[in-house]
Amino acid sequence: MSKLLKIALGIFTSIGGFLEVGAIATTAQAGAAFGFRLIWAVVLGTICVIFLVEMSGRLAAVSRHTIKDALRERFGPRIFLLTLVSDGVINLLVLAAEIGGMSLALQLVTGISFRWWAVPVGFLTWLLLWKGSFSLIENGVSLLGMVAVAFLVGAVMLDPPLNAMVRGAWPSLPTERPVHYWFTAVSILGAAISPYLFYFYSAGAIEDHWDEDEIGVNRAVATVGMSFGAILAIAVLVVAAMVFHPHGIEPERYEQVALLLTSPLGRWGFYLFAATLLVSCLGAALEISLATAYSFAQGLGWNWGEDVRPRDAARFSLVYTVMIALTSLLMVAGIDPLKLTLFSMALTSLTLPIVTFPFLILMNDRDYVGEYGNHWIGNLAVIAISLLASIIALVAIPLQLMGG
Amino acid sequence: MEVGRQILDQQLVDKTGLGVGKVDGIMLELRNGAAPRISAVLTGGHLFARRLHPRLERWARRLTRNWGPGKPEPLRIPWSKVMKIGVDVKVDIDAADAMPWEHWVRDRIIGRIPGSGS
Repeated sequence: MSKLLKIALGIFTSIGGFLEVGAIATTAQAGAAFGFRLIWAVVLGTICVIFLVEMSGRLAAVSRHTIKDALRERFGPRIFLLTLVSDGVINLLVLAAEIGGMSLALQLVTGISFRWWAVPVGFLTWLLLWKGSFSLIENGVSLLGMVAVAFLVGAVMLDPPLNAMVRGAWPSLPTERPVHYWFTAVSILGAAISPYLFYFYSAGAIEDHWDEDEIGVNRAVATVGMSFGAILAIAVLVVAAMVFHPHGIEPERYEQVALLLTSPLGRWGFYLFAATLLVSCLGAALEISLATAYSFAQGLGWNWGEDVRPRDAARFSLVYTVMIALTSLLMVAGIDPLKLTLFSMALTSLTLPIVTFPFLILMNDRDYVGEYGNHWIGNLAVIAISLLASIIALVAIPLQLMGG
Repeated sequence: MEVGRQILDQQLVDKTGLGVGKVDGIMLELRNGAAPRISAVLTGGHLFARRLHPRLERWARRLTRNWGPGKPEPLRIPWSKVMKIGVDVKVDIDAADAMPWEHWVRDRIIGRIPGSGS
């Protein structure tokens, strides 16, 4: 495969991975409640995730280890299990949110309640993993995900005030409702810095047999892909800030969020929103299920691989099968998908240091990355942003739960 | 001994590159008047559990005996079967005979679902 094609595909995948139910829901909330003032959270989250994705690709290319594999080897069973449990729980919640997102997209179009859609949608997700190949999932779904560009079109058509947007890109203290402000900020950070994203990326790099030659490609893909994803997320925020904020509307349900694009794009906007929600959640659901199965398999030494027949990687296949079944049932039970999404994103922020700190130690260990160790800027950015996100989440989550 | 510390928790693969498990433990042979020598590498879920907490090991054993594939003994691979230590630890055994849980899950659950690729 030519280098250019590789970069292009990689970028598409990263965009697809970035914009999912979490990013859509959190940025829509932020725009509706605070106008442009929380754009900085998207920017900060993107900086952090660019570094982390680049690192996970570099670790795979240089050491031939996935993150989980290296964590187990370097830190032993306890630290490994801590990260496995922490992102296992988060992934379960986020997967439920994605299945909820797909079901809601179908509810919007058909009028039939999302609870009826949860099982069919879960089954479809499972079937794609059961029968599909890694490249089908990686490339097919993320190309479809380009429908999300509708948000960019919508944002441009609404002609937003540029200087207010630029001001919003700089962090500021809240002028009103501080708890809601900080809770929304950490939800955005959690949606941007989803650990499943870099676990998935690192496993993909091993499945594609990367070596040191890929370091440049990897850097380009991580930076450009994640930045494009961030631009789409900012577009969602801008549309919400233009459509909802002036009228004081704060969407409490996805049905209301769906009206985002009808203002700039009319009836088509409604269908484009549903399509974007459906496809981006499907892409994320596939990645989360795989990322969790990878984590178990790589840390415990099982056979793994999306291109292997299920019976040749039985325990690996069992993990995603059980996970999808559980989360589908959770949605059938009728948990509010929007609340679940916002909450699980904030929880992601809270647990970030558990994932990022051991990972950073690996990325500075010459036994693993040799001369390709981290630059101090990358170390500092990831430590600062994940600590900040975690501390704000620690305060904001209980306050939000008590207040809401 | 240094080798022991290095290979603990490394991935074990068989001749064909199939994953066998992780190095969950190492068996040392104590010799009079000489440094101890590694006699075997061990792999098995309850060994992993033991390193977390003894109670977890008891649960893991009970699970394997009562609901799982039976005999809860770790797989013992003699040091002479260790072929190469690199990114993974390559061993001269057949993974097909070495993973009771993998086979249990395959035969009882995954293999029974249509399309698993028999």
